Amino acid sequence: MLQSVIDSILVLAVLLNLAMLATSRMAACVRTFALQSLLLALLPIAVGLRHETWPGAHTFAIAAGAVGLKVFLIPWILLRVLRTGEIHREVEPFIGFTASVMLGALIIVASFAFANRMPLPTQAPTDLLLPVSLATLFNGLLMLVSRVKAITQVLGYLVVENGIFVFGLLLLERTPVLVELGILLDLFVAVFIMGIVIYHIRREFDHMDTNLLGELKEV
Amino acid sequence: MLVAILLIVVPAVFSLVCLGLPTPRWRMAAMAAGAWAHLGVVLWSWQRQLEPVSGELLGVDPLGHLFITLISVLFAAASLHFVGYHRRALLSQRVFLACILGLLSALSAVCVSQNLGLLWVALEASTLAAAPLIYFHLGARALEATWKFLLMNSVGIALALLGVFCTALASMGGGADISLSVTDLVAHGAKLDPAWVRAGFLLAMVGYGTKMGLAPLHSWLPDAHGEAPATISALLSGAVLNAAFLAILRAYQVCVAAGLGVFAGRWLIAFGLFSMAVAGVFVVGQRHFKRLLAYSSIEHMGILAVAAGLGSAASYSTMLHVFHNVLYKGSLFFIAGLLGQLYGSYQIADIHGALHRYPFTGFLLLAALFATIGLPPFGLFYSELGILFAAGRTGHWWVLAAFTLFLCVVFVGMVTAVLPMAFGKPDELTKSPDRTGHVEQWRYAVMATSAALLIAGGLVLASYQPTSVRNALERAAATLAGPQSTSRVAVSAPGDIGP
Amino acid sequence: MTAVRAILFVPEGLVVLVLPPLLMSVIAKTKAWFGGRVGPPWLQPYFDLHKLFQKNAVYSKTTTWVFRAGPIISLAALLTAATLVPVLSNESLLGFSGDVILLAYLFALGRMFTVLAAMDTGSSFEGMGAAREVTFGAMSEPALFLAFVVMAVATKSLQFSHMVGPSLLPEWSIAGPAMILVVGALLVVLLTEACRVPVDDPATHLELTMIHEVMVLDHSGPEFAYITYGAALKFTLLGSILVHAAIPHPEGLSGLTPLLRIVELGGLAVLVGIIESVMARFRLNRVPMLLAGATVLSAIAVVLVLVRRTV
Repeated sequence: MLQSVIDSILVLAVLLNLAMLATSRMAACVRTFALQSLLLALLPIAVGLRHETWPGAHTFAIAAGAVGLKVFLIPWILLRVLRTGEIHREVEPFIGFTASVMLGALIIVASFAFANRMPLPTQAPTDLLLPVSLATLFNGLLMLVSRVKAITQVLGYLVVENGIFVFGLLLLERTPVLVELGILLDLFVAVFIMGIVIYHIRREFDHMDTNLLGELKEV
Repeated sequence: MLVAILLIVVPAVFSLVCLGLPTPRWRMAAMAAGAWAHLGVVLWSWQRQLEPVSGELLGVDPLGHLFITLISVLFAAASLHFVGYHRRALLSQRVFLACILGLLSALSAVCVSQNLGLLWVALEASTLAAAPLIYFHLGARALEATWKFLLMNSVGIALALLGVFCTALASMGGGADISLSVTDLVAHGAKLDPAWVRAGFLLAMVGYGTKMGLAPLHSWLPDAHGEAPATISALLSGAVLNAAFLAILRAYQVCVAAGLGVFAGRWLIAFGLFSMAVAGVFVVGQRHFKRLLAYSSIEHMGILAVAAGLGSAASYSTMLHVFHNVLYKGSLFFIAGLLGQLYGSYQIADIHGALHRYPFTGFLLLAALFATIGLPPFGLFYSELGILFAAGRTGHWWVLAAFTLFLCVVFVGMVTAVLPMAFGKPDELTKSPDRTGHVEQWRYAVMATSAALLIAGGLVLASYQPTSVRNALERAAATLAGPQSTSRVAVSAPGDIGP
Repeated sequence: MTAVRAILFVPEGLVVLVLPPLLMSVIAKTKAWFGGRVGPPWLQPYFDLHKLFQKNAVYSKTTTWVFRAGPIISLAALLTAATLVPVLSNESLLGFSGDVILLAYLFALGRMFTVLAAMDTGSSFEGMGAAREVTFGAMSEPALFLAFVVMAVATKSLQFSHMVGPSLLPEWSIAGPAMILVVGALLVVLLTEACRVPVDDPATHLELTMIHEVMVLDHSGPEFAYITYGAALKFTLLGSILVHAAIPHPEGLSGLTPLLRIVELGGLAVLVGIIESVMARFRLNRVPMLLAGATVLSAIAVVLVLVRRTV
């Protein structure tokens, strides 16, 4: 029963990737990311529960940190930046929304195929963990590379971090807490600084089109 | 352990002090004090016997010790240079100075960290600390450079994190408990799961390689160096790129311990040669001086990658190259900053006749140019020669040929660009005379001195090669080559090509 | 097939033939309830069919035999498909290994002749509707086929009545998320093929917004009755596929199954009525995104099922 809960969470997280690729409304994209982060933050607790004992403080600390940062703080920062700007919709990226979704699905299939060939040295909580983490990572890279507005690029980076977080669940109880919290803190500060830079971009250029940041190149 | 903590905490404390002080002058003083205090701690640490303890997060091993010494020296010189360079505050000066010291603190953490996870956290922190520094001049171009820097480096570092996790998984091979400690991983190398070690190394190389400036992930580098103030460019080229190289070296250490040194070496050589080729293409015909120097940085990082990839035969040369690269690259950027202010422009076409108009600067420019190009008696000559010998000794003939070819291309490109800057008609006025900068005497003196110090230091240490320096380099090389390296005699042979 | 089964097929078949218009009126009643109205009488579709049979057919001068053949062939195709799909019980009238492909292509055959009949009229409205119908049909086929692949892998059989029979039940515990994705994809396919909101609004009277309705504008009399009944039958068949995949009945319930199935089909009709009442039709250029999404859901379900199999 718990197994299928974990599986459902992972599948839903992967589908939310595709939802983020499909939408052009940036606020909706940010909220979808918050939902995905919430689901993934529940995973350490579920995995911990699988061993029939109440998971330790370590697990709760990580889950709480992830929720606080990725579900509340970071989306709040991004939504604030969106609100002060007048642009609310992503322009049609050069891949196109429908094509992005199809490419994203292709990436998911490829991740499953690839993960099959990498044998894990340890018993993973579920066999979906590695493929879902790779799929999320590459879907995040796809978003980062193909999108035009700066906020969606930042969201792509955050989705990549989500994928790595899922991967890290394979090592759950064994990495020092310091390192995990350091990772989360780095993420927060990174997004904070990116938010500031985006604010400056908008102020400087009156838009958030990174397409138009093209002045520096080899003449 | 205490030393390591001191190295990280001292600049951090001074950085907070910087934020709090009221006047700009005091803040500058605090920044310089912080950098020099850090240098003091580093020099003190050379008096003590240091061995990294297995299992601890922090520890100073020979490799890290070498890197942090060089970084510290560079920061100390840079603090001097910045005092002379900085005229009007554009970005908030508090934030800027605090970030410089924050960068120093983060880079110290990179050097003294014995845990791969902590290393990652520190390197990411250094990216974040460096971002505001690039944005110093404000404006559209600086913003674009900052955005590219931030995004590309963050993504690269995220991939490197995945590499760290893969390495952690590898450490579980054979039923052992997980460990991210470098000493542990190297000690238990034979038990690591090879597939995951390979995956971890490739991801770390791509990820940290973005930060190091290896092509094809280098596109943020010329923009960042071109738009940032000259002092910051020096720090980026001299310190940050090398810290990223250290991170890759740690991953390489793990690979060597697991018996996959040849695999790792092949990839390093491939990326290194590609970087040198890209640098060669863009150096020729380059019109912006700082971008030219940025591509030269890419070339040197490529050389370092090739040297690391050649294995234990070239370890000593790698360390020697790092040593001199930090010093001379830093000095070259300092001189670029000075020239930019003297002539009011960074375009190569606008700068000429430096030897005649400003003799000391012109002389320094030529010295730094020859040093970076790799002419004797400067140290880079010996390290590059050592690499060539190592390539020949290990039978990598194509590598040797390509290496020499790209070195020549970059040589030609740089010389044709910089020689006219130093020589040139003395009577010719600059194209736009009202853009000639007025640099006060004391500023000029400070900036020139900082550059001269670095060049002289490098020259002296290369020519005389005091035993302590030589020992430090050899110990660092031995750490890199792995515990089972049997070619210790061969390792020091290229060093014998000294004067 | 035992003699008892053979005899029981006759009343069962009659119920299956009589059921579709009743499902249509369930949908209509649901929508009326949402609108605060009473709605048409329960037997209204039957009265409509009866009325249409009394009328004469009118044929335009531009049409050929294709126009007359279209409704007949499409109804014939659907009736043939009805023999392959188990509606009320766990077995169908006919079945052989590989009949799932025949099933899909019977639907396609019906669609093709409807489209041909529409284009045969020479009117531009019908042509426009035909183009849309063909596009959406092409995009929903992969979703349908991939869903079939999931069920075939799960039950290791290519005979449709076995694919949705009791052997599908354990799959829900092995690969639950995959089955949920399949049900979602089949729901979208149902809405597309049966021309319901959000793909096509059956109640619209503006030709530019129609897809299915505009194709059959020129039919009249008995042929229109065939078409109307055929659409209802298609809804029933696709609905049965969905319901059987969503709720596979175990073997032991064989007596109760027909009643439960009728209730489940009724529930599906209510669900479709609710969807029609709370949603508006999607903009036409967003419909491909919906269908691509259904295909993607099916693809992921295939991957999940295969992963579970190789473990």
